[in-house]
Amino acid sequence: MNCPQSETPASLYRFLAQSFRYPEQAWLTEPYFDLLGNIKQNLALNSDATGLHWNYNAESDGLELLQIEYTRLFINAAPAVIAPPYSSIYLDHEGNLYGQSAVWVKQFYQLHGFDVEGEGDIPDHLVLELEFLALLIEEQQGDKAEQFLNEHFRRWFPLFRERVLSGSTNQFYSTLLTLVDFFTREEP
Amino acid sequence: MAFQMTRRSFLQASASAALTTALSTWLASGAQARSGFVRKPFTAPGSFGDTTTVTGGVCEMCFWRCQLVGKLRDGKLVKLEGNPKSIDNGASICARGNAGVKLLYDPDRLKYPLKNVGKRGAPVWKRISWDEALDECASRLQGVIKNNGPQGIAIFPHGASATYPMHYFEKVVGTPNNSEASFFQCRGPRDMAYINTFGVQAGENVDMPNAKAILLVGTHIGENIHVSHVKQYLKGLENGAKLIVVDPRFSSSAAKADVWVQIKPGTDTAFLLAVMNYLVKKKTYDSAYVQKNGEGFDKFAKAIAHAELDWAAKICDVPAAQIKEVADLLATNAPHVSIHPGRHVTWYGTDFQRERALACLTGLLGAIGTKGGFVVPKGPKLGKVAWPDIGAEHAEEFALHKMAEKHQFSPPGTPTQMLRDTAISGKPYAIKACITWGQNPIQTIPGQQETIKMLQQMDFVMVVDVMPTDITMYADILLPELSYLERYDIVKTGVQWDLNDKHQQYIAPRMPLVSSVSADHQRKDSVWITNELAKRLGHTKQIPAPSAEAMVDKILAGAQLSVAQIRKEDGIHLQSGTDPYGMVYPVRFFNEDLADAGYSGAPSYTPVAEPPQGFARLVYGRVPVHTFNRTMNNVWLNAEIPENPIWLNQTTAEKLGLKNGDRINLVNQDGVVSVKAGVLKVTLGIRKDTIFTAHGYGTKNPAMTNGVNKGFDDQALITNPAVDPETGAHGMRTSFVRIMKDGKVLSIPA
Amino acid sequence: MSQYGMVIDLNKCVGCHACSVACRAEWDVPVGLDSANRKQRRNWVERLGPDATPHGLASTYYVGLCNHCDSPVCVESCPADKVAVTFSDPKTGEKKTLSVAATWKDPFNGTVQIDKERCLGCGACADSCPYTARYLFEEGGVPKADKCTLCVERTAVGLEPACVQTCLARARICGDLNDKKAEISQYVGKGAVRLESAKVKIGPNVRYYGKKKDISLLTQNSTPTALAEVNYRRIFMARMLRPSLKQLGSFKLS
Repeated sequence: MNCPQSETPASLYRFLAQSFRYPEQAWLTEPYFDLLGNIKQNLALNSDATGLHWNYNAESDGLELLQIEYTRLFINAAPAVIAPPYSSIYLDHEGNLYGQSAVWVKQFYQLHGFDVEGEGDIPDHLVLELEFLALLIEEQQGDKAEQFLNEHFRRWFPLFRERVLSGSTNQFYSTLLTLVDFFTREEP
Repeated sequence: MAFQMTRRSFLQASASAALTTALSTWLASGAQARSGFVRKPFTAPGSFGDTTTVTGGVCEMCFWRCQLVGKLRDGKLVKLEGNPKSIDNGASICARGNAGVKLLYDPDRLKYPLKNVGKRGAPVWKRISWDEALDECASRLQGVIKNNGPQGIAIFPHGASATYPMHYFEKVVGTPNNSEASFFQCRGPRDMAYINTFGVQAGENVDMPNAKAILLVGTHIGENIHVSHVKQYLKGLENGAKLIVVDPRFSSSAAKADVWVQIKPGTDTAFLLAVMNYLVKKKTYDSAYVQKNGEGFDKFAKAIAHAELDWAAKICDVPAAQIKEVADLLATNAPHVSIHPGRHVTWYGTDFQRERALACLTGLLGAIGTKGGFVVPKGPKLGKVAWPDIGAEHAEEFALHKMAEKHQFSPPGTPTQMLRDTAISGKPYAIKACITWGQNPIQTIPGQQETIKMLQQMDFVMVVDVMPTDITMYADILLPELSYLERYDIVKTGVQWDLNDKHQQYIAPRMPLVSSVSADHQRKDSVWITNELAKRLGHTKQIPAPSAEAMVDKILAGAQLSVAQIRKEDGIHLQSGTDPYGMVYPVRFFNEDLADAGYSGAPSYTPVAEPPQGFARLVYGRVPVHTFNRTMNNVWLNAEIPENPIWLNQTTAEKLGLKNGDRINLVNQDGVVSVKAGVLKVTLGIRKDTIFTAHGYGTKNPAMTNGVNKGFDDQALITNPAVDPETGAHGMRTSFVRIMKDGKVLSIPA
Repeated sequence: MSQYGMVIDLNKCVGCHACSVACRAEWDVPVGLDSANRKQRRNWVERLGPDATPHGLASTYYVGLCNHCDSPVCVESCPADKVAVTFSDPKTGEKKTLSVAATWKDPFNGTVQIDKERCLGCGACADSCPYTARYLFEEGGVPKADKCTLCVERTAVGLEPACVQTCLARARICGDLNDKKAEISQYVGKGAVRLESAKVKIGPNVRYYGKKKDISLLTQNSTPTALAEVNYRRIFMARMLRPSLKQLGSFKLS
């Protein structure tokens, strides 16, 4: 990326967090896709700049197909949900929600002056973890972000990504997962 | 900063190789003084210490409803325990109760309203908003009501939260087609038989702690666990009660019994008739009670006069001396005897008569209102929240069993078999919408293929549940419900578990132990969902409670209590009770109403079909860690008893060359082969003509990632259910099976 | 000195598994097997029979947990360096300093405990236990031996062990076997048995009480008949590991 601004990384995490919310017309706008294309291009992520095969078109059934895919991948599905986006599923012995790794995440948030909004919220959802990274960077705590990535995020995200990629051929989510991976993986 | 692109570019530059080398050289030199980390192994913190205790929980891992407290650490539920204030279960809860935490955090739980954009049975789900979901449900239901009338809607409810919507559809919308699994596939025949003998419901109201003898017919306490009930049973045994267990199998109760009657399955009523006839002939029954409170005794005595000990001995395949022993034991200890009414009694389609026999035997022994006898405790009074009866008349008019003049002693609702047959045939009218609410008819109702046929012909199927059970695969719209740990619903009441202790009553509303709101889901409670539907179906004015909490508050107001007050009282209100002993009920030994309707007025024995040569009867029971199919996905419970062994008599096994641990399939009389092989348990503790397994295993929906395909599915083999003529309830121990091993079918030797 | 232990009253036990699930909840015990195929559990319930015994047809339950043995072979097998640890008697305040490895028998309450920090995770103790009461908790990358502690953490603050509290049958009696007045000792007086054989006589402090036929079925099925072969290779490997851990320890101290 040739014009890095100080807020760029934080904004990137926010962008990625939003991207893993339920797909809705309200935010899946042309500017969103322009930005996504822009990021991809800047990173030269894929020699094929049109790698996003899903053509956004409010008139077509593209949005609905994406919603169905999101539901199947992350919410409930028949025959079975592909990849619940929570760290406990991948790190804790029973693969249930709110395992020890989720407790760790919540404590980490609290240690750094944050907490999830609702007392019943499950702290280790992918969206929350990406938003938390954005918050840390906005507060100039890049080293803490690195610690969070190192001690937690990188332990589960690759397993999650693998489950999505082996269970789906959706270009939108595979692109986003590649982006998340790119912005969170350990520096070479 | 970790992610500045400039740094990334820098690292990607050609200098990086040299830098990496330099870095590793430096590290290797030991120049780094120390690590900032220590190794700190994980040590489980336990549930005490820094947790907060939340009171007001009422369990629903089964339907006994023990009172709970939750131990929360920073918003996370870490453990459930019995509420120490409880005079019912106390601080104890069973395995299922303990495992509720794993239901709460089960990642397979339903989270958002889903629309099936694929096929019924092979769904493709799309998350939709509540508004969209409710609008669609309302318009589709409205369509069915318009085309087919309210009776075109069938509802299959189960559990505390389903009562409110069930009553809405019955009383306001006006459909009679309500099939409760708790009646037609469980307790129906018992409840109706006791009502038609004593005029009161049976419950499990036997005073076992103070009994001198306890008779269990098929009941297997231990494999079946309801905390306070087990406490009553054990207290009775500890106090020296003689335990008589009638069961083809050496059950958990038989293992503790003084007398085990290894009866031929299906013949229990003959056994009971012989016991009663013996008592009558020997005049060792409680003639004073019978004279004072009996009705139709002479007709009854005459009707059972044929039931000699030898007659029953032959039918039941037990020694006549043992039947006599049981009768004498009961007479000697009368009236302090607990004749247990059972609970899951839908066995052979002749179950109403067996339950009548149990009730009559209780009356004959004068064991009503006595210490150790049938005693109905007096619970506290509560307020009511009820939908108005505006559709009840219509429902009555279209009740299938009333139209056909069948099953006149049906429990509330419509017998499942009639409902399903009607839906499939369209006669006498069409049933085109199906609502299941907490019930999983694929597993609760025998004849799975018929049930699927019924679902496939519907115009609309709506499912409300907590977990993606098998039935959810057939939903057009699937709505996620809050679990019992996150919602208000029932108000549990009762008395201290030992009736002989200080008389106390308790009132314990179900209140949430954890927040019902989370960014991760949009689950709702049944009151909210029903009200939203009612608003859309034009019944805003009829809504009796604006929210679940308001409903509970209204019910509590009837006892001058409130949610706020109960919170102050640690989840349970205690008040003094009354002495339950001394109550007298009339006993309709011969019931003229039954006779008038064409049924047997006195308890009667009807033989059930015998296994064809080479077959054994398939019977089922429970394991203590599961509530049939409902708990199968729970990771802790699954780990305790991962599969249900198939019990086979040792001599039979030897003859067939089978051994413990072998993998076998079962094939039933219709040629249906079990979906999966089960594990064989070879034992002396079962009759040769009987094969047993625990019911509820064999979940089919892969969305239940822990439960799917675990264990052996006996339900799929119950393809020829019987129907009880009086009540319309199913009989489900009607299948006959042979064994299949390595593709070869083995006949069961006689 | 006290010797805490447990009696299981099989006349009361109905085999409901509440104890083992409550224990999982209390101590976050994982399900399934560890990497050496040991069942991950701190306590368990196994149904026995129906089967013939000399006293008639029987069916009962093997309700298992750590026996907190008089002569625990697990303690002997621990290859971790011994360090001086001071124990104190909560009743009298008396102190005793013993040289112990990463698992030991408490000189005051008789329970067998593990120091997770010093445990090498070699599994020697788990392999040596004839009752298979130990497993390796392998989460977080550093395996650690785990087993029933008799909930000393809970009893220290006046609570019952999790399994005892939830037992609806009151079939689990926990207490000091050296206290003649304790309920547990009365059960010993009535003949509660230990699961011991000629080759395995290490003084288990869990005892079973019940009808003759049930005790007969239990002892037939669930008494260990041989002490486990100690896996010397594993102990050797563990010993090799120690220096590095020691170094890490010294970093901590510096």
